[in-house]
Amino acid sequence: MTAFYFVAFLSIFFALMTIFTKNPVHSVLYLVITFFTFTVHYIMLNAQFLAVVNFIVYMGAIMVLFLFVLMLLNLNKDTEPMKSNLVKIMGAVAGMCLLATFLGAFRVIELDNGFVTGNSDVGLVKNLGKVLFDEFLLPFELSSILLLTAMVGAILLAKKETKEA
Amino acid sequence: MGAIITLSLLGILLLYLGLYKAKNALLPVTLLGLLVALGFEVSEWGKEAAPVYHGMVLFDHFALSFSMLCILLTALTLFLSKAYFSAISNNVAEYYCLIVFSLTGALLVSSYHNFAMLFIGIEIMSVALYILAGIRKKDLYSNEASLKYFIMGAFSTGFLLFGITLLYGATGTFDLAGVRQYVIDTQQISPLFYGGILLLLIGLCFKVGAAPFHFWTADVYDGSPILVTIFMSTVVKVASFAGFLRLFDYVFGALNEFWTPVLLVVIVITLFVGNISAMMQTSFKRMLAYSSIAHAGYMLFAILSLGPNAASSVFVYALAYSLSSIVGFGALILVKKSQGSDQFLAFNGLGKSNPLLAAIVALAMFSLAGIPLTAGFIGKFMMFTGVMGDYHVVLLALAAINAIIGVFYYLRVIVHMYFKTAEEGAETVVMPLNFKAVFIIAAILTLAVGIYPDCLIGLF
Repeated sequence: MTAFYFVAFLSIFFALMTIFTKNPVHSVLYLVITFFTFTVHYIMLNAQFLAVVNFIVYMGAIMVLFLFVLMLLNLNKDTEPMKSNLVKIMGAVAGMCLLATFLGAFRVIELDNGFVTGNSDVGLVKNLGKVLFDEFLLPFELSSILLLTAMVGAILLAKKETKEA
Repeated sequence: MGAIITLSLLGILLLYLGLYKAKNALLPVTLLGLLVALGFEVSEWGKEAAPVYHGMVLFDHFALSFSMLCILLTALTLFLSKAYFSAISNNVAEYYCLIVFSLTGALLVSSYHNFAMLFIGIEIMSVALYILAGIRKKDLYSNEASLKYFIMGAFSTGFLLFGITLLYGATGTFDLAGVRQYVIDTQQISPLFYGGILLLLIGLCFKVGAAPFHFWTADVYDGSPILVTIFMSTVVKVASFAGFLRLFDYVFGALNEFWTPVLLVVIVITLFVGNISAMMQTSFKRMLAYSSIAHAGYMLFAILSLGPNAASSVFVYALAYSLSSIVGFGALILVKKSQGSDQFLAFNGLGKSNPLLAAIVALAMFSLAGIPLTAGFIGKFMMFTGVMGDYHVVLLALAAINAIIGVFYYLRVIVHMYFKTAEEGAETVVMPLNFKAVFIIAAILTLAVGIYPDCLIGLF
């Protein structure tokens, strides 16, 4: 339990650092660390597959891409858009309302409601595969359409137009 | 299921046609594919409906009828697309492909029986549209529409997913029947479940464009190419409402005391925001965009007053609204092409220069406003009756006020068409054959449903 609280504290701390730091590059680096703490969480939950995917895809691929884009864009303080205080206050109020709702929902959570500890090996690759290719085969296959759509779209939007509109 | 497989394959086939430069085959092949898909839907009608593929999808009459409606509306939209897309760029095959994939997503959303399918369906439907909204790459408004839709859509998907997660945390299942069983059996429903309902409500309200989650709607509908706007405001809206209704009717119905007040507030805000903003507009396209928000408010009535008639009233209302939208936006394509503007002023004198078009647009506006003998009246009537049965008297009074505001701005179009004269030397609006066919079909359906609505109500 102590390990969990320590890692959870680190997640929240680095997540807060992500939004409070002024420098965008630092912000992304903090986000990388936040994702790393998530990976640790997954390992502690015995969800190996998720941990590996999170490590490789999110931390490795996506965040590095993010970092490159930020460096290429050359963002610095001058280009940061000014937000009025009113917007900030409204955002804070709305965020706190959301937090209050969640805390209300999490208020009387039973830590052991049968789903959490029912099958602690469910996150192993073998068990995940059995669920994915049996019970969830249809959504798994259909997500290929989703990926194809995204691919077609990305190429469509990024490719140079040969004919003027 | 046959329809979903057909459409998935059709999308890939269209990409291949584009690869081999078979430009002229695109539209016929797409329409043929839609026809086959429609055939599959019809053939499944009346069979014993049970969840298939480990309870992932359920093709009952509800799912089939909304799927058919989506296919029909897509076909009508695509009829208008002849020569529209090729004016934008050379990549016409990809546009058709994206529309077909989006339709596949819409079919999934109307027939899901598992939260995993709901999520994948909504994503397929939306991702294709994020791209379609931005296909005019040189047009700043189109870029804005695409980006705004993407960011807001991704955000709302986040809410949706979080809601699904909380429901899973409370019930331990993604299956709709399982969640429903939990609602019925459990005495003390977990607070997680309530949080989940709220987040799902927010996510779905985003998707249907109900206030206060409507901020993307006007800019996205306004900035996208008109044909994409037609698709967005008809097919996507219909499918989202089908998914919305199925979830709240089948699963959360027993808990309506919890979410009714929230939905009531959403409806009232939606009605007022939609109608009052629509009244302020000088652009026809923006007016239709805001009026679509208002119509989302009316359609939410059915979810508020669940019951045996909810499905048929959403169906009739969605059909009426979609047909009129197709006519409205379609006419705008023609008017914009000849006058170069999408303001109300561009419609001046249309009654003289092109009486047929003006008459059909007038009919569509009557239908949107809910004047008797049109489908829109039947839709509004069914919605109001449903709410009346639940004694939401205040809501009914507010809705009546909004209906009157609606009449005001819809009639403004008619005033511009018939009682104002066009500027000297303005080009007359020509109506190509495909537009004429679609408009006449839409007009006949609008009148038919308006005069003899029983043919549709009996479906459920």
